[in-house]
Amino acid sequence: MASEGASRRATGLTRRGYQWVRERSLPIAALVAGSVLLVVFYFPVAVVFLEGVVVDGLPSLAPLRGVLTDPFYVGVLADLFSRPTAVGDHLDSLFRWAATGFSRPSLGLIGFTGYQALLSTVASVAIGLPGAYILARYEFRGRRLLRSLTILPFVLPGIMVAIGFFAMFSTNGPLNALLGVFGVGPVEMLFTLEIIVLAHAFYNAPLVARLATAAWEGVDARTIETARSLGASRRRAFFDVLAPQLAPAVLAGAVLTFVFTFRTFPIVLALGGLEMATIEVWIFSRIQQLDLTTAAALAIVETVISIGVLALYLRFESRQYGAGQAPTQIDREPLLPSLRALFRPSRVAISVYGVFVAVLFIGPMASMIAESLTGPNGLTLSHYAFLFDRQSGGTAFQIKPWPAVRNSLLFAGATLVIALPTGIVVAVRRVRGDRGGVLLDVLATAPLAVSGIVLGIGLLRGLVFGLPLPGGWRLQVTGGVAVVAAHAAATYPFVVRNVAPAVGGVDLSLVESARALGASRVRAMVDVELPLAVAGIVAGAAFAVAISIGEFNSTVILAEGGDYYTMPVAVERYLGDRTLGPATAMGTVLLAVTSASFVVIDRVGGGRGDRL
Amino acid sequence: MSELELVDITRSYGDTTALDDVSFRVEDGEFFTLVGPSGCGKTTTLRTVAGFESPDAGTVRIDGESVTGVPPEERDIGVVFQNYALFPHMTVAENVAYGLRFRDPPGDVSREGRVTELLSLVDLDGFEDRDPDELSGGQQQRIALARALAPGPELLLLDEPMSALDARLRKTLRRQLQTIQSELGVTTLYVTHDQDEALAISDRLAVMNGGRIEQIGPPRDVYRRPATRFVATFLGENNVFEGPVTDAPASDGEHSLLTVSDTTVRIPRVDADRALVCVRPEALTVGGGVNELHADVGESEFLGGAVRIHLRWNGRDLVALADRSPENGSAVVSFDPSDVQVITTDAGRLAEDPPSR
Repeated sequence: MASEGASRRATGLTRRGYQWVRERSLPIAALVAGSVLLVVFYFPVAVVFLEGVVVDGLPSLAPLRGVLTDPFYVGVLADLFSRPTAVGDHLDSLFRWAATGFSRPSLGLIGFTGYQALLSTVASVAIGLPGAYILARYEFRGRRLLRSLTILPFVLPGIMVAIGFFAMFSTNGPLNALLGVFGVGPVEMLFTLEIIVLAHAFYNAPLVARLATAAWEGVDARTIETARSLGASRRRAFFDVLAPQLAPAVLAGAVLTFVFTFRTFPIVLALGGLEMATIEVWIFSRIQQLDLTTAAALAIVETVISIGVLALYLRFESRQYGAGQAPTQIDREPLLPSLRALFRPSRVAISVYGVFVAVLFIGPMASMIAESLTGPNGLTLSHYAFLFDRQSGGTAFQIKPWPAVRNSLLFAGATLVIALPTGIVVAVRRVRGDRGGVLLDVLATAPLAVSGIVLGIGLLRGLVFGLPLPGGWRLQVTGGVAVVAAHAAATYPFVVRNVAPAVGGVDLSLVESARALGASRVRAMVDVELPLAVAGIVAGAAFAVAISIGEFNSTVILAEGGDYYTMPVAVERYLGDRTLGPATAMGTVLLAVTSASFVVIDRVGGGRGDRL
Repeated sequence: MSELELVDITRSYGDTTALDDVSFRVEDGEFFTLVGPSGCGKTTTLRTVAGFESPDAGTVRIDGESVTGVPPEERDIGVVFQNYALFPHMTVAENVAYGLRFRDPPGDVSREGRVTELLSLVDLDGFEDRDPDELSGGQQQRIALARALAPGPELLLLDEPMSALDARLRKTLRRQLQTIQSELGVTTLYVTHDQDEALAISDRLAVMNGGRIEQIGPPRDVYRRPATRFVATFLGENNVFEGPVTDAPASDGEHSLLTVSDTTVRIPRVDADRALVCVRPEALTVGGGVNELHADVGESEFLGGAVRIHLRWNGRDLVALADRSPENGSAVVSFDPSDVQVITTDAGRLAEDPPSR
């Protein structure tokens, strides 16, 4: 009897335990997701940052002070940072500078990084906004396709875009060939600031266009009509009512562009070299020189600036009006009602813009493919043959194409397995949870602000080199696992940002109905929210795969000297050879693989992912 | 103040005719309502008056002058849309003041003074610095009204301004709107699909269906003497009877006999072979009388002040309003010939109407 009672009590206990878990299933899942992030992101980043503030086992500001007082890094501000209290001297030099008519000051590495990011942002907005105007105001065949194509550049691997620009703008590229027809040139266009800015615009102008178009489509046409009825002309209504509603989206796009180009890496590495070094490139070079302390100090400065700017982005994003579809959308005018309309001034301007955009976006990709098929004696497949030769006959230390393709796909798959569940849990918690909203926002966005290089170093030093645990154990992972961890950290914010709006669009009463019918919170999520948010989930997954395949910054560090290189790393290594050929051939393979993931985003995602 | 006149307005989109020869006249200071089911063309009519749509044919006249080709900003109108369309990036005061950037406030007041005046008119004093998204639906609606009225427009156009609000609030705001409108005496065109609202609020109304105006008149007249079967059944509930007509025996010259399903009832005199007539539920009383029908009693609904009784008579559904519900089973209901609404005596027109169910 006694034992029976005990066993009943035991079942009661397990049942209560089960109940306890059931009721807290979502927070527990969030806790698991948080632990994953701790291991793949926060811990490695902390390892790097500690390097910058700890010298010989003692906390020290020396590395940071070293960076901030060195004119090489901060230019004219070095004096200000080294003697912050000498106000008189600083005012004095300010007046002297004014006396010279504000001559161009020495910016230093950090200043230059910000300067090129600012130029890139201006260029991206200038190129992106007319595109948004055309996509939002006019109706034409292929408008929807064009609108979804604006997502494509974003998922293209940076190193591949760099190769494309290299192929197009090099002295024997198609652009110089065209100039040659007019008897000009050849002009050296590579290794200039302009080409870097243009390559950044290739990435970010479509992003600006996409965000602005979405905002435009979210503006209620009735607000414009109301302004008209109150006496505003078409122009006035545009400036008074439409433009202010678009502004937050445009600013969000601009700020995001700034963050992305501030920590740019492969584009500057391939198109600018150390001449045009940005913080990120310099951190990489410091690491290769084994000067980890300076690298860590620079990483801290870079991250602080990025996070500051990103906070601005979150602010603009939250200020966007009209979430989603407007009750009544603004009518679109036919772009070409008749052939004669082609000669209207507006249509002429649009045509000129169209040609420019076609050259900017198709040119580099086409040049890369053309270059991969061209040899000294015209058309050839020899570059692809080279890939095959290297595969069969390469020595152990040479980069082989097949392992690169295999690793890329393998890492992408493994990344998905970690990033997708983590991203989904964080997204659901963020949309539905009532507490910790701001904290989750920061947690979800932080990986956007931390550079891949920094994460790569952190993983290398923290997990690959190994970490002693109590009891004689050692936490140590191979380079491959570390690459996946880096990719998971880099991609999961995109899963969150695609899944969260999709889940937010699911009426909470559906979830409550499921729970009233007996489903646990997690069960309701699996049965109701996720199936309805499937478009956002697939889009997030496609983003994760595409970004993982294209990831270069952390991979190049973790693949150093090992067998864990991916396609982008292979492209960069082949670029080191004398000819562009093999790199462009490898780049073309990479383009094919990333484009396939784009098709998935477009087909299944169905226009989602406006928020990136 | 001013008058509005529409003459033979026609508008089609592709193959569908949205407006078919729409003509009506709104007098100075009048509250005129367009009522009809969704898709009947009432909103298109309002948008044509505002200048957001141009008609294929016909003329809109404001104060006797044609406004063809005049853009909306020069028509001196105020518009309130169904979703209010408050400018999300402006405060309440900025919203209300927006029209004053282009037109001087009427009377001798400053812009700020006018904004205060309007906010107090709609009972939202002190709301100047709020953002639109901090307001409830009813408050947004009143701000939209204040914004439309601020420049003192000649014409106030309201496109289903109440339809997003709950029933109780709708009734309150309806009364408030009526008061404001008659105080200011602004000529008002009001669009709604809600027949109760149309009956309660309007000086006159026009019932629209399928792009055409079915009937125009004061609410009481249109309710009592519907001109078409559509009007009879759309404005309020109705019991429809249709059948051949014969003269009353012992004819007093005032009545005819209508035969419906082998039952003959006495109706006002009709000079035709067939007739379509209606009896309002409140005119159908439980108990004997002149025209008696033996009906089966179905469910009844308690409405507070009355009981709505569903009846089944010779394969038709009838509705009656009474003080209390009768015993279940069968009952005798009756109606007086003077309560019969003769919709049409035109046999040709009858053939076009769908057969009664």
